Amino acid sequence: MDRGLGMGEVKEDVVKTLLWISGMVLVGAVLVTSVGAHHASGPFYDPEKSVEAVGTVTKFVFRNPHSFVYVDAVNADGSTTAWEIEMGASVSMSRRGWTPDTIKAGDQIKVVGQPSRAPGTFGMCCAELTRPDGSPLRP
Amino acid sequence: MRTMGIRNRPRSERRRQSTVCQPLLTLVGGTLAVMAVMAAMATPAFAQAGVDPADVPDLTGVWDGGFRARPVNGPNMPWVPGENFPVLNERGLAHQAVFDEAIAPKYDCVPSASPALQYDPYMMEVTQWPDRVLVRYEKDDQIRTFWLDGRETPSNDFTVQGFSSGRYEDGALLVETTKFTFDVAGFDDYNGIPSSQQKKVTERYWREGEELRMTLTVEDPMFLREPVSYTTRWLPGPEGYKLQAYDCDPFEAGHPRKFLVPTYR
Repeated sequence: MDRGLGMGEVKEDVVKTLLWISGMVLVGAVLVTSVGAHHASGPFYDPEKSVEAVGTVTKFVFRNPHSFVYVDAVNADGSTTAWEIEMGASVSMSRRGWTPDTIKAGDQIKVVGQPSRAPGTFGMCCAELTRPDGSPLRP
Repeated sequence: MRTMGIRNRPRSERRRQSTVCQPLLTLVGGTLAVMAVMAAMATPAFAQAGVDPADVPDLTGVWDGGFRARPVNGPNMPWVPGENFPVLNERGLAHQAVFDEAIAPKYDCVPSASPALQYDPYMMEVTQWPDRVLVRYEKDDQIRTFWLDGRETPSNDFTVQGFSSGRYEDGALLVETTKFTFDVAGFDDYNGIPSSQQKKVTERYWREGEELRMTLTVEDPMFLREPVSYTTRWLPGPEGYKLQAYDCDPFEAGHPRKFLVPTYR
């Protein structure tokens, strides 16, 4: 059984592409996904939940197959949580203008995404990254 | 009568003979060289016998298989439930049932392979030589060689990318790949479906305007009840784009595993 790519589907893909690009521009924030045909996020992160962290970047690892940004977020009780936010492959991200210096240690950042499943871990994926005031964080 | 060799002849005579012989040798050598070059130029342009150059599609270049070409990528693409999703036999279902994401080899930088590699959202570079087509994938820095000269691989030479034979036909490049190693998650990145040494991947590449298109068919009687196929496309890559090194980082590859609740302890 072959799922062919007919002309109707080609036109549909063009429309989808245009909508995708428009959506990215309108959002104005950087939405990065760790999925990117490398692995499903479901086994690692819970799509039914959303967490938010505001804090200081301690490290930005720009690599393949996953980049990670590490954020120390101060909680309401004054404790600090060290979050690890999974991002895409650096090869893919670089085509969207990202470099190893796009985020630097010391930057203030806000991340909203899906939390990791394993108890006692503070991972996040599929996150939206902005500045603490909500303004876009762009490459 | 003893014949005098050239060394025993008078110096004047040796000089005269050297003056005649050297240019003659140069002329003969040069003529042979020219004949060799002409012979090389007269050999067929392709190793595949009888191929009409008009039947050879222009596949050379850098091709974009990212989200610009394929806006949808995820667990239900290119294998769509209810459409072309593979039908597993009992062996395949049993493997899928016990599969744990953490054991997928990609978390240890084992490269992606067919049929997943072709749909990964990265750049690809195709180079067409007379006896082979080289395909380089940005994903995992992989290179596949499609041999056009009819050669065969040794019976025990199994590799991650298998062994590929190709031929041009009716304006398309047909490729058949076998001799894959066993892979516990060798079918795709999402569904925990294994692939065996019996996996056979058939690809057909052709041009439609500026697009490079491919139909891929997978057979694996070890795990699949029947062959399954998908068709996809690439768009021309950006002008002057050079494929980046992937350089899979072993630590970062396995990093997400700490966030997984393991199925088995």
